[in-house]
Amino acid sequence: MLDGIITGLQTALLPTNLMMVVLGCFVGTFIGMLPGLGPVSAIALMIPITYGIDPASGIILMAGVYYGAIFGGSTSSILINAPGCSGTVVTAFDGYPLAAKGQAGKALALAAYASFSGGTISAIFLLLAAPTLAKVSLSFQSADYFALMVLGLSAVAAFSGKGQVLKALIMTVFGLMLSTVGTDRATGVERFTFGSIDLLDGISFLLLAMATFALAEAMMSVLERVDEGAETQDMTKLGSMKLSKEEIKEVAPTVARSSVLGFLVGVLPGAGATIAAFLAYGVDRNLAKGGKKDEFGTGSLRGLAAPESANNAASSGSFVPLLTLGIPGSGTTAIMLGALISYGIQPGPRLFVDHPEVFWSVIISMYVGNVVLLILNLPLIPYISRLLIIPKPILVPMILLFSITGVYLVSFNSMDILIMAGICALAIFLRLLTFPMAPLLLGFILGGMMEDNLRRALLINDDSLSFLWERPITLTIMLITLLILVAPLFQKAIKRFFHIESGAESLTID
Amino acid sequence: MTLSKERIGALFFLVVSIVYGYLASEIKLYPGDELDPMTAQTLPFVLSGMGIVLSLVLIISGDHRVSDSGIVRLNWKPVIALMLLTLFYGFSLDWLGFLISTTVFLIAGFRILGEKRIKVLLLVAVPFVFIFWFGLTQLLDIYLAPGRIFGG
Repeated sequence: MLDGIITGLQTALLPTNLMMVVLGCFVGTFIGMLPGLGPVSAIALMIPITYGIDPASGIILMAGVYYGAIFGGSTSSILINAPGCSGTVVTAFDGYPLAAKGQAGKALALAAYASFSGGTISAIFLLLAAPTLAKVSLSFQSADYFALMVLGLSAVAAFSGKGQVLKALIMTVFGLMLSTVGTDRATGVERFTFGSIDLLDGISFLLLAMATFALAEAMMSVLERVDEGAETQDMTKLGSMKLSKEEIKEVAPTVARSSVLGFLVGVLPGAGATIAAFLAYGVDRNLAKGGKKDEFGTGSLRGLAAPESANNAASSGSFVPLLTLGIPGSGTTAIMLGALISYGIQPGPRLFVDHPEVFWSVIISMYVGNVVLLILNLPLIPYISRLLIIPKPILVPMILLFSITGVYLVSFNSMDILIMAGICALAIFLRLLTFPMAPLLLGFILGGMMEDNLRRALLINDDSLSFLWERPITLTIMLITLLILVAPLFQKAIKRFFHIESGAESLTID
Repeated sequence: MTLSKERIGALFFLVVSIVYGYLASEIKLYPGDELDPMTAQTLPFVLSGMGIVLSLVLIISGDHRVSDSGIVRLNWKPVIALMLLTLFYGFSLDWLGFLISTTVFLIAGFRILGEKRIKVLLLVAVPFVFIFWFGLTQLLDIYLAPGRIFGG
């Protein structure tokens, strides 16, 4: 493992890669601050740029953008009460009241410290957990992979929140359907190409990601006029950024608890930063005593620290299934998986063996990313937030242009722009009907792999599906899947039985 | 009859799944493929079936309340204009080339979203497009074909 860490350090600390982290954090912070644009869009916008550089640097850049986007999301949650992404919705509960009291600087600093601690703690966990899990998963066969992918897809749907499970499942199936367009990899048969040459290779992953996220999110922000009417703080006057010793003492246990919780939630397929943040906030509110409990929602430091440590910890945690099993647990890691595959790198247990430099440098650069966010981004927040003053009429067309040219400059096929517009229109229609987008992307990316693994498993098992219940690992995974899918039904029945009204918020997956 | 958001979506996916299933039956297999346990049609058929079942369940169990979501009151005009602009950009890139079509795209985009000052429109779009073009062609050495009207 030490060798690996040294390889990782050598790669991550190369001047170019350090620059990538810094650049990624800045760009991510900026895009993350824009209300409506989340980490998935931020990363999608980066992919075309990363095609020209080597895979390790590319993934480091994207990891930086990911952290930056979450941090940027917190900043806009705190300053203008408009969360930049769903992972930071909870941050606004206590962050904005703090800013409204004139303590924006303190809130931002606390958010940064909490994020840093959450990121650090979970980077250490990742360092320990990932190689072990990668070693275990080397013994996995096609049957187990197939089962794991079914688990991943079902989990994303199951964790997608109240009343969303069916919709998320349908979107997953839709994503899987889209993945079957093009030439079948095993038999060479054309499927759903309608005789078009443009569709022989299937729908481009980048195109789908840009159209359903970056383009659609920018359009939605126009459609819903997100930032109009938001009460803005004067961003140049943030107040003191210092925290007193008592305050640090008060939040330290919260940060520790929430980081561990966040990491564990992040590792679970399907549950990402958003759910981690909600959970951590809820847990801390329940643990708080007396007057502290009433402070939640009115500017409690603990209420701010809990979701901030948890969402960052969960972001690192979500890399565990991606790096060790090759199975993304969220929209964000799905898009990174897509990017890695397009570099010719297949994440999974072999990644650890075949491309140790990628594996370790991602882990190390996560840590570097956290340091960059703390020492570079925090002091620069007043300046970065000034960029938010760029008027929307100028900003939105720019984002559209970057999304469109991002796809065009890879394929040089103007037909792609027309397909993008079509998919974007469909995405807006589905978003308005409150169908979640992340499961679509996940289904699309996992579809091909799922089919390959199922086919291989069938070949190995003499065309019989019996591997699903004969192999203990496969059976266990399938049972967990079943449990996850059935659980919401029971929950409903129990609630109906006891007439419990649920006040749970509907969550979206980031 | 008015439908709830969920049911509109579910109906949409029901149609998509049925059409998808029909198209899956049209996939041409190679001779002998049908002997395999899993052909190019297998997964599409399963997916189509799942899609149909899931959308039917959503239609039956879904929220039947028609919420006044105010979809009509949303800011549709600029979004439709931007969509058309995107389509236009897709066509114009081949014909007018990168520089002209991108400048037009940006100026029209700014204008659609309410920026009326001609000075701002030009001072932002033109230098931006030029720098972008310069970066692509000169620094990154990416070849951008000239528009067809210029003989590209």
